[in-house]
Amino acid sequence: MLAQLREHPSAPIYRNQSGHRLLPGEVDRARALEDEAVRATIDWQPNVPPAWVKSFVERCFSASPFYRRYGAMPRSFTELPTMTREDLARDMPYLVPDDIDIDRLINFRTSGTSGHPLLMASHPLVAAQYLGYHKRALRRFGVTLRHGRGQVGVILLGVQSICFTYVSITPTMDDSGLAKINLHPNDWRSLDDRAKYLEAMNPEVLAGDPISFATLLDIDPKLRPAALLSTSMTLMPALRERLEERFGCPVLDLYSMNEAGPIAVLDETAGGHVLLQQRMYVEILDDADRPVAPGQRGEVTLTGGFNFCLPLVRYRTGDHASLERRGDDLVLIGLEGRPPVKYRRHDGRWLNNIEITHALRPMPIVQFSVHQDASAHIRVDYVAASVAPGDVERALRALFGEETSLQVSQVDSFDRKIIQYTSALPGAQA
Amino acid sequence: MQKEGPPLQQLLHRITATPPDFMAEPRIGNKGEVHTVAVVRDLLASKGHVVELASLSALAGRDVKADRNRLSITLLIAWLLADPALTIERERLVDILTLLKDDATRLAGYTNARQLFEDLERREELARLTLSKLGLRPAGETMAQAQDRFTSISSLERARLLAASQEAEARARAIREQLAKKAAEESANKWTRE
Repeated sequence: MLAQLREHPSAPIYRNQSGHRLLPGEVDRARALEDEAVRATIDWQPNVPPAWVKSFVERCFSASPFYRRYGAMPRSFTELPTMTREDLARDMPYLVPDDIDIDRLINFRTSGTSGHPLLMASHPLVAAQYLGYHKRALRRFGVTLRHGRGQVGVILLGVQSICFTYVSITPTMDDSGLAKINLHPNDWRSLDDRAKYLEAMNPEVLAGDPISFATLLDIDPKLRPAALLSTSMTLMPALRERLEERFGCPVLDLYSMNEAGPIAVLDETAGGHVLLQQRMYVEILDDADRPVAPGQRGEVTLTGGFNFCLPLVRYRTGDHASLERRGDDLVLIGLEGRPPVKYRRHDGRWLNNIEITHALRPMPIVQFSVHQDASAHIRVDYVAASVAPGDVERALRALFGEETSLQVSQVDSFDRKIIQYTSALPGAQA
Repeated sequence: MQKEGPPLQQLLHRITATPPDFMAEPRIGNKGEVHTVAVVRDLLASKGHVVELASLSALAGRDVKADRNRLSITLLIAWLLADPALTIERERLVDILTLLKDDATRLAGYTNARQLFEDLERREELARLTLSKLGLRPAGETMAQAQDRFTSISSLERARLLAASQEAEARARAIREQLAKKAAEESANKWTRE
C-alpha cells in the first residue's frame, strides 16, 4: 500500500514520515475503542454531570500533579476551578498522569490564533481513536466506511508552502492506505498530477479544511468519495453545499481541537453541532465559571475526553455556544470560535458577530475576517474566487446600513489561521 | 513549647469536628463562599487582637487554582485556633500570622485540607504545629518529647515533599524532552488535523 501511494507516476513529493505507532497488542484495543465510540449512547442532561465524571475527577486529583495542586476535591463539581489554554501552554507536562509511560508519548502541536502555541502530550491509541468518532459522525449521514486492504481509506489535504506530508496505513481498517498531501504547487512535478493522483488513489474519505477544499474544487478531480471531513475553521454553508453538489457526498463540518479531538459534528437537521464523545462532559459557562441555563449562550467547557495523557477538568475552550438536549442528541447551537465581538453601526446600535456569520451564509466564502477599528470603520477581508466583493458588501450593508464606514476586500489567502472577528472599539467585547 | 497546653487528643478531636463552613470553598475573586480574611480577622478579634487589613491581604487570594488549597488550610487552622482552650499572647501574634499564611502555604505543597482532616498523622502534625506557634506543648509531654515527635512527623513529610517535587520536576522535564524529540518526526496518524 505504501509503495502504491508513494510510487504512483503522478505522486507528489512526500517529504516526511509518520506511522500509526500502535504496538501489535494495541490494534485490537484500538478496534474495541472504535466500536465503543460508534455505539455508545450519550445520555446525560445539560448541567447534570454524568456518573463517570466523579471517578474521572478523582483520578485526576490523585494521578496528575497539576490537579493535585488544587488541593482537596471540592464538595460539588461546579466548585472545581476552570482551566484555559494558558494553563496548557504553561503546565502541560504536569497534566500527564503519573502512570503514563513517557516513552510512548507522542505530540500534537497547534499554533492556534490565541498567541499560545501548544505542544500536547498524546499517545498512539489516542490518535487511533479519532477514527471511531469520525465513524460515529459519518453514521449520522448514512455513511459506513468500507475501504480496506489494497485501497486508500483517507487522504488528508493541506495547502501550504511548507507542509508535513507522508503515507501510512490504518490498522483497524485492515491496513487501508492513508496519505497526507499538500495541494500547493511546490509539492508536485506537474499541476495536472494533482487530479490524476487523487483519481488514481480514489480515497474513500477526503479530510481537510475550507481552504484545501476550495483548492480541490479548482483542481476538479473526477472523484466520488463517501464523505468529506472538514475541520480547523468555519465551513460556510454555501461552500459546503458546493462541495456536496460537486462530489455527491456529505460534507461533515467537525468541531475538533488538538486538546480534545472531534467533539461534535454539524447536523442542520439537529439544529447545530451534535456531541460525539461518550466520555466528554460539556458545560456552557458564564464569565464567573457558573453554568448557564440550558439554551443560554456561554463558553464551551470540557471535562473528560479520550486523551488519557491529557485529562481535562473544566477546560474553557474559548468557543461559544448554547447546549440543548434534542431527542437522542446533545446539540451545541450557534457554535462560534472565540469570545463574541460586537460591531457598532453608524447609528450607534451594536450587532453581534453571529449576525455577520448569518449574513454571509449564502456565499461560498472560504475564509474571512472582520475588524472594526477605533474610528468605527469596518474592514472585511475574505478568500473566495467566485464571490464578488460587491455581493459581500451588499449583504453587510443590509446589516450595517448604508452610512456605516465599510471596506470589503477580496484576498488570495491569509497567511495562517486567523481570528475571524476583532475590534478596537471600547465596549466591543460582548 | 515552654508552656503546657491542652491535651493533644482535644485538638485532634476539634479538627475532626470541623464544621462545614470551615471546609467550604474559600472566596477567591468572584468564586467560592468563605472570605478567609474575614474569618481570620474575626478569629483574632475573638482572641483580643485587632490587626490591619493590609497584614491579611495575602489571605484574599488571586488565582483559584494556585490559592484555594492554602486558603482551605488557613480556614482549618483558624477553626483549630478558635478552640476556647487556646489563647494567643500578644508576643505570639506574628508567629500566628506566619502560621496562617506561610505555614499554610508550605503545608499546601504536600497535603490538602481534606488530608489534614482525615489522616491521623496529618491531623497530629497540624495540631502540634499550631501548639508550637503558640509556644505550647501537648499536656502530659515533656519539652523534649514534644519537640522530638513534632520534628519527626513534620520532617518526614517535608522529605516526602522534596522527593515528590523533585520527581515531578524531573518527570515534567522528561515529558518535554520526549515531546520535543517526537516533534521532529511528527506524531502518529490521525484521520483529520485540527
